[in-house]
Amino acid sequence: MELWRYARQRLFQIGIIFFVILTILFILFRIAPGDPVSRMIGPEMTTEDAAHLISQLGLDRPLWVQYVYYVKNFFSGNFGHSFHYGRPVIEVIGDRLPNTMLLFTTSVMISALMGVFLGKIAAWRKGEKTDTVMTLLALVTHTVFLPWMALILIWIFGYRLGWFPINGMISEEVWLNPTSGFFAKSVDVAHHMILPLLTLSLIYFGSYLLIMRSAMLETLKEDYILTARAKGLTEKVIRNKHASPNAALPVVTSVGLSLAFSINGGALTETVFSWPGIGRELVFSVSNNDYPLAQAAFLLISAVVLVSNLVVDILYAYLDPRIRY
Amino acid sequence: MALLEVEDLSIGYQTDQGILHAVEGVSFTVDRGRSLGLVGESGCGKTTLGMAILRLLPQNGMVLKGRILFEGRNLLELDAEAMRRIRWKEIAIIFQAAMNALNPVHRVADQVAEVILTHEPETPREVVRVRVEALFDQVGIPRSRMWDYPHHYSGGMKQRAIIAMALALNPKFMIADEPTTALDVIVQDQILKEAKRIQEAFDIGMIYISHDIAVVAEVCHDIGVLYGGHLVEYGDRESVLDTPLHPYTRMLLASFLTVKGKAAKVSQAPGDSPDLVHPEPGCRFYERCRYAKAACRLEPLRYVAASPTHRVLCNRCA
Amino acid sequence: MPSRKKKILEERSRRWRRMERWAQGWAIYKKNFLGRIGLVLLSIFVLMALASFIPPLVDPMYKPMSGVDPEITASTGPSFRHWLGTDFMGRDLFSQLLAGARVAFTVGIASAFVSIVLGTLIGMTAGYMGGWTDTLLMRTADIIMVMPTLLVVLILAALFGQLNIWSIVLIIALFRWPGVSRVIRAQTLTLKERPFIDAARVAGASHLRILFRHIMPNVLPLSFLYMTFRVTAAINIEAALAFLGFGDPGTVSWGMMLQWVWKTGYMFKAPYWLLPPGICISLITLSFYLLGRAMDEVLDPRLRKEGERY
Repeated sequence: MELWRYARQRLFQIGIIFFVILTILFILFRIAPGDPVSRMIGPEMTTEDAAHLISQLGLDRPLWVQYVYYVKNFFSGNFGHSFHYGRPVIEVIGDRLPNTMLLFTTSVMISALMGVFLGKIAAWRKGEKTDTVMTLLALVTHTVFLPWMALILIWIFGYRLGWFPINGMISEEVWLNPTSGFFAKSVDVAHHMILPLLTLSLIYFGSYLLIMRSAMLETLKEDYILTARAKGLTEKVIRNKHASPNAALPVVTSVGLSLAFSINGGALTETVFSWPGIGRELVFSVSNNDYPLAQAAFLLISAVVLVSNLVVDILYAYLDPRIRY
Repeated sequence: MALLEVEDLSIGYQTDQGILHAVEGVSFTVDRGRSLGLVGESGCGKTTLGMAILRLLPQNGMVLKGRILFEGRNLLELDAEAMRRIRWKEIAIIFQAAMNALNPVHRVADQVAEVILTHEPETPREVVRVRVEALFDQVGIPRSRMWDYPHHYSGGMKQRAIIAMALALNPKFMIADEPTTALDVIVQDQILKEAKRIQEAFDIGMIYISHDIAVVAEVCHDIGVLYGGHLVEYGDRESVLDTPLHPYTRMLLASFLTVKGKAAKVSQAPGDSPDLVHPEPGCRFYERCRYAKAACRLEPLRYVAASPTHRVLCNRCA
Repeated sequence: MPSRKKKILEERSRRWRRMERWAQGWAIYKKNFLGRIGLVLLSIFVLMALASFIPPLVDPMYKPMSGVDPEITASTGPSFRHWLGTDFMGRDLFSQLLAGARVAFTVGIASAFVSIVLGTLIGMTAGYMGGWTDTLLMRTADIIMVMPTLLVVLILAALFGQLNIWSIVLIIALFRWPGVSRVIRAQTLTLKERPFIDAARVAGASHLRILFRHIMPNVLPLSFLYMTFRVTAAINIEAALAFLGFGDPGTVSWGMMLQWVWKTGYMFKAPYWLLPPGICISLITLSFYLLGRAMDEVLDPRLRKEGERY
C-alpha cells in the first residue's frame, strides 16, 4: 500500500534526524568544561563498580570507540547509573516514560480536537457573538504563561475548592488498598490527571482553534464548496463533510510542527504538578547534576517528539489523498 | 408556461466603493428541450446570472429587482429549505473543470452518489451503486477509475465526472458555466457534443455560459449577448448570427470569422470594461462603440424588436 | 546638474511612496480593534520598563534585587510603602515587576532580532541558491525544529553551568530561526521567478547584490512580522527557565518572581505576589501576538476580504 511506502520513507528521515541529535549530544558531553568521565560515574560509586561502568561505557577508550559504545549502549538501553536514584537510568526512565506518554498524547489529542471543533463553529458563525467570544478566548488562553496557569488552577481547584489533588499521579490509599481494582485505580489516575490535562489543553487548543478558523474560512471560499451547495446538500453536511476535512489539514500540520513546543509545556506541567514523568525527571536531573539521567531523558524526549511527528505525518497522509499516492 | 422565465432581473454586489451593478434589467425564457447560450467577456455578468438562478450568489451579492420563475414558481421567494430541494434535483449546474469543483478528499464516485443519497435518501445502496456506474458509462469514464480521487483525473475526465454528477437526478434544467474552458480542443469538442446530445436526449432546458460565441453558436438554440450587465442582444441562433444588430455582437462575430463562411466587417474597438459601480444611465458599450453619439451615453435604453424572436438593446438601431 | 536634480527628485518621490505605503498600512492596521489593544498594552509595558529606573532612585530599599526593607522579614501585602507588597525577604514587589518589564523587552527583542536576522539570511540563501546549499540548510532547520528549545537550554545549563542572561538570549535565538527561514525561503522562491530578478541578473548584478538589493527589501516585511511572534517565544522561554530555577541569578525577571512565590511556600497565601508577574508575562505575550496578527492583515491582502468573492 502506498501509505506504507510513505510511512517508511518518513521513518527513514526521522531516523536520520534522531542520529544527528544523538551525535550532537555526544559531542556536547565531550566538549563541556570538566571531566567527561566524572559526568557518567557517580561520586558515591565504589571503585570496582566505577571501573566496571567505565569499561562498559568505553570511557577509557579513544573518542570514536566511545562514540560506537555510546550508540550501541543507547540502542541496548544502557544509559549508565543515575547518581540521584542509585539505579540504572533505564529503570528510572522506564518508570517515567509511560506517564509522560499518557499525559502528552491525551493533551495533544484533546487540544487538537477541541481546536478543530470550536474553530469550525467559530468560522461558521463568523462575525457573530459566538465567534468573537471564542476567538478572544483562544487568544487569551493561548498567550497565558503556562506555569502560571498551572499555579492558578491549583490555587482555585485544588486549594480553594479542593476538587482535585494538587500533585502526583496516584493516591497511596487507593493503590495500597488490596481491594481496589483496575477501575478504581484508573479513576484515581484520571482524577489526578484532570488539572495537568486542563492546563495543557487550555494553553494549546487556542492556536489550533485560530488555525482551524482561518483555514475553514479559506476553505469555504473554495469551488467545491460552491458545488456542494449547488448539489443541494444541507449546510451541516457542507460544513462537516466537505469543508472541515479540508480545513483540518493545516491544523494537523501545525500539530506536527508544535510537538516540540508542546513537550516543553509538558515538562513544565509535570514539574508544577509533580507528575512523575520524564520531563520533570529532566528538570530534576539538571538541578541535581545527574548527567546520565539528564542525557537519557533528553534523548528519549526527542524520540517521543520524533515518533509523534511520524504519527502526525501518517495521519496527514491518511487524511489527504493527494499525499498518499 | 415556459420552464424558466427570468424577468427584469437586476443583481448588485456590495463593494467598498458602493453597489456594483453586475446585471441590470435582464429578461429571457428557456423552454423544455431548448438551450440558451449566454455570451460575453469576463465581468459581463454571465456567471452572476447563472449563480442567481440557483441562488448561489456570494454573500455580498443580492438581487435588486426582478423575478426568476421556474415552472411558474418564483425561486427568489422560496425559503432556504425549498430552494435546497430544487438545487440539483430540478436545476443542476456544470462547473468549469479547471475550477476546483470536485472535493479533493472524497472519491469521485462518492461525490456523484452523494447527490442521489441526498435527494432520494430512501434509495437502497445497491441501486445507488448501479446508477452511479451507469452514469460513468454514459459519460465514458472507465469503471476502474470511478473510485479514484479527483487529483488522479485529467481535466477532461473531471469535466465528464461533473456532467455525470449533473445527470444523476435527471434534472429538468441545467446550467453549464464555461464547461469547456481550459480543456484542449479535441476534448472540448467531445464534451460539447456530449452536452448537446444529453440536452436533446433528455429534453432538458439549458443555459450555456461561455465567453466564446463559436461554442455557443454550435450548441444553442438561442443566443443572449451580455455586455456590462445588460442583455444587449437576444434572439434565436439564426437571427443573431445572420443579422447581428448590436455593435458589440458584431464585434464578437468579427473575431469569429468562420461562422457560415462569411466575415462580418466590423473593426475591433479598444477600451475598458465599463464602470459598473457608477454606471451611466445610457448605453454601457458607449465608449467602445464606433457608431456612438453623445446621446447614447445619457438616454435611457429601450429594447428594439427586430422580429418576434430577436431584440436588441440599442437606441441607435431603432 | 540636471541628472543630479533628477536623482534627488526620484529619491524624494521614492521616499514619498514609502511614506504613503506606511500610511496605507497604518490605515488598515487602525481598523483592527485587537491590534489597537495590542499597541496600547505594549505601550503600557514600555512605560513600565522606562519607569523601572525610578524606584531605586527614591530609596535604595527599592532596588529590585538587593534592596531589602529593613523593617520587614517576611512577605507582606500591599501598603503605601510597598504598592504591591514585599517578597519573603522584604524586597519590593512593585519595583521587581517594573524591572521584569525591562528584562522581558531585552530578552524578547534581542533574541528575536538575532533569530530573525539568522532566519532571513538562511532562508534567502537557501531559496536563492537552491541545490545542495538549500538541502543542507533546510535539513538543519528540520532537525533544530524538532528539538524542544526549553529542554535544550536546560541540558546546556546542566553541562555548562549557570547561564547568564545573554547566553540564554543567544541560545534561544540559535534554536528559533528555522520557522522564519522556512517562510522566507518560500517567499524567496516565488520572488526568484519574478521578471525583475531576471532583469537584474541580465544586467550583470552579482548574487550578493541581487540578494540584498532586490530580494531582501521584499522579504523584510515578512521577517518583521515573524519577529513579533519570536519575541513572545523568547520571553516565554526565558520566563519558563527562570521559573524552573535556571534563570540568570543576577536579574529579576517575572519568571523568577513566580519561582520565588512558588518555592517559598507563599503561593496560597500571597495572591498579591502570585498574580502580577503571571499577568504581566501573559499580557506582554498577548500584546505582541495581537500586534503580529494585525500586521499579518496589513501584509496579506487575502485576509482583508474574508468571505468576499466576485
